[in-house]
Amino acid sequence: MAENKKALLIDITKCIGCHSCEVACKAAHELPGDPEPNLSETAFTTVQEHAGKNIRRLCMHCEEPACASACLVGALKKTSYGPVAYDKTKCIGCRYCMIACPNSVPKYEWSKLVPYVKKCDMCVNRVVQGQPTACAEACPTGATMFGGRDQLLREARRRLDNDSSYVQHIYGEREFGGTSVFFISDVPFENLGFTVAPAEEPLPQLTQAALGEVPTVVLVGGSLLAGLYWITQRRREVALAEAAEKASRKEERN
Amino acid sequence: MPDDKKPLITPWRVILAIIFAAGLYATYLRFAVGWSAATNMSDAQPWGIWVGLATLCGVGLSAGGFATAAAVYLLGMERYRPICRTAIIIAFLGYGSVCVGYAYELGLPWRFWHPVVYWNRHSVLFEVCWCIIMYTTVLAIEFSPALVEKLPWKSLREWYLHWHHRIVIAFVLAGVLLSSLHQSFLGGLFIITKGKEYPLWYSTHLTTLFYLSAIPAGLAMIVIALYLSVRSLNVKIDPEILRELSAVLVPLLAIFAIFRGVDLAHEGGLGYLFRWRSETGYFWLEMALFVFIPIVLLNLERIRNSPVALYWTSAIVVMGFIANRINVSITGLERATHAGYTPKWSELAITVMLMTCAVLAFRYAVLYLDILPRSLAEKRAKWLANAGVVANA
Ligand code: SF4
Ligand code: SF4
Ligand code: SF4
Repeated sequence: MAENKKALLIDITKCIGCHSCEVACKAAHELPGDPEPNLSETAFTTVQEHAGKNIRRLCMHCEEPACASACLVGALKKTSYGPVAYDKTKCIGCRYCMIACPNSVPKYEWSKLVPYVKKCDMCVNRVVQGQPTACAEACPTGATMFGGRDQLLREARRRLDNDSSYVQHIYGEREFGGTSVFFISDVPFENLGFTVAPAEEPLPQLTQAALGEVPTVVLVGGSLLAGLYWITQRRREVALAEAAEKASRKEERN
Repeated sequence: MPDDKKPLITPWRVILAIIFAAGLYATYLRFAVGWSAATNMSDAQPWGIWVGLATLCGVGLSAGGFATAAAVYLLGMERYRPICRTAIIIAFLGYGSVCVGYAYELGLPWRFWHPVVYWNRHSVLFEVCWCIIMYTTVLAIEFSPALVEKLPWKSLREWYLHWHHRIVIAFVLAGVLLSSLHQSFLGGLFIITKGKEYPLWYSTHLTTLFYLSAIPAGLAMIVIALYLSVRSLNVKIDPEILRELSAVLVPLLAIFAIFRGVDLAHEGGLGYLFRWRSETGYFWLEMALFVFIPIVLLNLERIRNSPVALYWTSAIVVMGFIANRINVSITGLERATHAGYTPKWSELAITVMLMTCAVLAFRYAVLYLDILPRSLAEKRAKWLANAGVVANA
């Protein structure tokens, strides 16, 4: 079944911390250097140790990404294939995406004079051609799996159902309004350095509520102000007329 | 007018020279050497004080422009017409320096025109950007008569002022709406940081909070500018105006404080009010400077009757306002991002240089254009314009 919308499933119980994903990612994106401890402009993914477990870090490819909703020129976009992709020809370097992402995933090329935003792009160029991501391809244990989003969710659910040692939660199924990268684990996610999702609804919806008030503010505010102006003018006319009247009466008396 | 007999080197000129030397060297670092050389910004703190101080405060402190324009043009408060131009030029210079500041702030500043072509209407920053573009234009139009008046061609002058007078009200109206939206949206930028922003500052009503705090801060800024103009630029205005402006501050600050309190309770921030953390200190510092101290001071008869005391009280309000903006944009995000950011000297140098440019421009505008009346007698005839008829009657 060729499902269009792709995703990654990362099974923390299977990760052996070999950093193959990171090395493959660097090769696929022509990024320099050895494996790094944290995400950076040259590390789109990394493997960290938390509570004795190996945890991959990478962009979650949110279904309704905060970063993309924040980007004023639309350089970051959720593609129909799943990846949240970055168009470097549009970016103006405002770095609002970095502020907006709840996981602080986007990184910036601070050392360059022509800096761009850097983050995991879920190998969008490979994915649109029907290939798996470089990290999934390189993973020797199948801890990182690539596939259709629905199919991977079903697979994750199946593993949780069959093995009660898993925490009964698919991280990413609902977090940030749903993502395209899922984690399952036998240790609670809070202990593994995962961001506790700040809201039930996707973050961009909070902003939309505020932006949605714009037309109302403009309409109501505009007519209110125009009304005030009209009253002011009217008062002024009355005052002028009265003044003129007073003046003419004065003349008559003289 | 500048005094020809003054010595060439004065302490002020030395300070100015230092500010510009430092600012220009920092500019060189930023554009020729790179971000890391010129700033302490990092992936954890991507905005720093260029956004926190230059943009958020520069725009916020310009809020007096639209408030005064609305009071005079829309509400017919003719008493304030003499300070209308001051308010508008402060706003214009404020926005102008924010626009110049973007050249530093953007990673790819030569793409500044992209938001005009590539739209993302879901982005608060997109709305902010458009409001800045449009409102700066509106301010330029509102301000233009002060320049056109000085042109040597009489017919052009009269033609321009005639039409300007007829249509300016439309621009004032648009300006009030635009800047109201814009002030609010600067707060709206941080609505999406739920979970990152510290609970003492996060609110889904950051839009309203920014709006309500910008108005008193903008007025305080006008009080400061008026006081300084009277003191050192040979300007004459009715001292009563200062008193009245600061009297308006009290209810405005109180409204903000009440809204802030209710909002904190609503968003669940109350539990953080007294925790033993650095954020708590910053929060109370902000509240003390922006709310408590000014309200107490402005209730003292002695303060209200003394222009210099009003000036210092307004300065406290402005500092409180700056504390608030920096708290929202920097302090409040530090804990979640583990940033540990302090600005580099060059970041400050550039901000200070841009502010100095604005202050200098203000000074020369007051000296060479008719921004403020220079004698009380001049006031009536010239400054009340068409409404002078009403006032004289
Ligand atoms: S994790 Fe962050 S960068 Fe990745 S899609 Fe979500 S909001 Fe964007
Ligand atoms: S830095 Fe670039 S990608 Fe990020 S929000 Fe700004 S324009 Fe968009
Ligand atoms: S999906 Fe691609 S870009 Fe993202 S971490 Fe894996 S290899 Fe790197």
